[in-house]
Amino acid sequence: MPKNIKVLIIDDEVDFCYFVKKNLMKDELFDVIIATNGQDGIDLAKNEEPDIILLDLFMPDMPGEDVADALKENTATADIPILFVTALASNDDIVDNEENKIGNNYILPKPIRTKKLIETIMKILSKP
Amino acid sequence: MATSNPRKKTIFLVRLMVIITTGYFILFSPSAGRGFEIYGYIFITVYLLTNLIVAYIPEKFFYDDKIFYGFVLCDSILLPAGIYFSGYVGSDLYLMFFFIISLTTISSRFGYLMINTVLFSVIYGWLLYEKGLLTGPEAVSYLIQIPFIIVIATFYGYLITTRLKDKDIRIHEVRERYEQIVQATDVLMCIVDHDGKFLFANQKLVKCYEYQDEKSLSGLTISQLHNEDEAEAEKSLNYVRSVYQNNDMAQYESYDKNHGVWFSHTLSPIRDPSTGGVFAVCIISKNITDRIEKEKKLNDTVELLIKTRDQLIQKDKMAALGRLASGIAHEIRNPLEIIYMGVDYLENNIPDDNPHIRESTEKIFNAVNRADNIIKNILSFSRQSEYKITQIPLCPLLDTVLTLAEQMIQKNGVSIQREYDNKLLEVAGDYNMLQQVFLNLVNNAVDAMKDSKEKILTIRAYKQLVTEVGYKTGYRRADFFSIGDEMIVVEISDTGKGIPEDALPKIFEPFFTTKTVNEGTGLGLSIAHMIMDRLSGTIDVESRENQGTTFFIKLQPTCKMTDVKEV
Repeated sequence: MPKNIKVLIIDDEVDFCYFVKKNLMKDELFDVIIATNGQDGIDLAKNEEPDIILLDLFMPDMPGEDVADALKENTATADIPILFVTALASNDDIVDNEENKIGNNYILPKPIRTKKLIETIMKILSKP
Repeated sequence: MATSNPRKKTIFLVRLMVIITTGYFILFSPSAGRGFEIYGYIFITVYLLTNLIVAYIPEKFFYDDKIFYGFVLCDSILLPAGIYFSGYVGSDLYLMFFFIISLTTISSRFGYLMINTVLFSVIYGWLLYEKGLLTGPEAVSYLIQIPFIIVIATFYGYLITTRLKDKDIRIHEVRERYEQIVQATDVLMCIVDHDGKFLFANQKLVKCYEYQDEKSLSGLTISQLHNEDEAEAEKSLNYVRSVYQNNDMAQYESYDKNHGVWFSHTLSPIRDPSTGGVFAVCIISKNITDRIEKEKKLNDTVELLIKTRDQLIQKDKMAALGRLASGIAHEIRNPLEIIYMGVDYLENNIPDDNPHIRESTEKIFNAVNRADNIIKNILSFSRQSEYKITQIPLCPLLDTVLTLAEQMIQKNGVSIQREYDNKLLEVAGDYNMLQQVFLNLVNNAVDAMKDSKEKILTIRAYKQLVTEVGYKTGYRRADFFSIGDEMIVVEISDTGKGIPEDALPKIFEPFFTTKTVNEGTGLGLSIAHMIMDRLSGTIDVESRENQGTTFFIKLQPTCKMTDVKEV
């Protein structure tokens, strides 16, 4: 394994980020960095160049969609895949969606179990 | 004196008679030329002057009987005074005079009076002749008494008969007016005695019960009108008796089966003026069918309004609850997420030799999952989503739902009856939403039959014409179904324990559930209700405890609106 996968979490729920980090770090496969608001996330993404970004759709200062748009506009971050995590998705539509995709973006509804999260990340990263 | 008042005219005629008679006696008096005439002339003059006073008395006073007959009597007495003043005094003539007055007073017919008078004159003439009074020097003065008697009798006879005629005309007029009122009125009117026997009935009543005329009712009783309805016959008689007993009015309403008409009956006592007791009962019956029908219609409308209002309140309540719940759900989900991730972390770090902790974390996971499930339901209840209305073949959809629920159906030993009217039935709706509604109802039905002996789930699908006004069904533009339109009905019927009557109005309320905590969130039916609203359909329920429950899902047969709608 040449290098750990660097994951950037952008979510206003600090404790949620903390546990995601704890859970991912346990595998020693991941490096996790955390941003608790949209602007910090955009800055961190530029500086750290993560492999994948976990982005909360609903944040008080800046909606996840706007963060995603800003990331896509910047050439440095445009190619980083984004995995949306959201508490608002309901039952059926997304869960049953094999691709975990809405439009060009991946989405994972909460609650997230670590196993599923890792699986999804690996799946996204394995795609060309 | 020209006057239109016949009574005043009569008075003047009487007075004219007195003047003529007095003048007659002055001219033909046996004592003529003995100086008596002067009193006679004075009497006539005074009498003529009093006529001037009478002429100025307003006419209306003569309609007072006391004044009128006072005048007649006064003039009758003044006539002998005139005779006296004319100097013709003979006691037998006075007797004659009073005899004639009494005769005319008791006579009701002019003809009889004249026969009597002529007979009397003949006898009187014979008596005069017998006494030898018709011969000798005073023969003329006795002879003229006979034409005098006839003239007086004729005059009084005329007076009496005109009076009687006058009275007759007035009685006839009054009678006619009452008759007109009674016969022209729109109500049935009759007078009956204590046994309910008809004493009188108006034309309306006679016609209503198809008798020929009033006479053919004589001898019949009021109870015989209702010959096919014994209860009604008894009722009418009882009311007649109660009026006799209480000496007071009574009122009741009845339905006439033969005519299909509602009547309101008013019974009034007709009292004997001297004793005050009841001797007959007047019954007035009015057709009130229109009113009753209008009342019924009004009641129906009020009922429908109340039902619609309740449903609107319900809808409003659900919408408000939905908003509140989704707000809460959203806020709760984040901390829940942290718990979830936290437990996940703990679980991954438990030493392998500690199964107790693993069991505990598993329980926490279950609890969090349960809470999360509720939140998912709430969100799907209130979220704004896009849906697509298309023509959907109904029967394959229902079959799919039954397949999805197959495992549960088999586990519970439920048998299924499919009663599809037509395999090709189509409805307008969103496939996923309809599937959700039907699946929910099927699950509920299977649950309800858990403890039943007989477990039959019946699914019917048929086309129906909309005939009755109801929730979102009627003539308004906003109604989903218009009277006369077609709709597709799906019935999902179980043989389970049924829904208690007091719970029925609440089953579509969010969070209302009779299931235990782990079995349901109480959102299934409220979501179904909301979905039906979005699909321009309705959902109704009928339930009998321990017999089963049937849900009626009424759907649009074809797309009415644009295919995709933002809500």
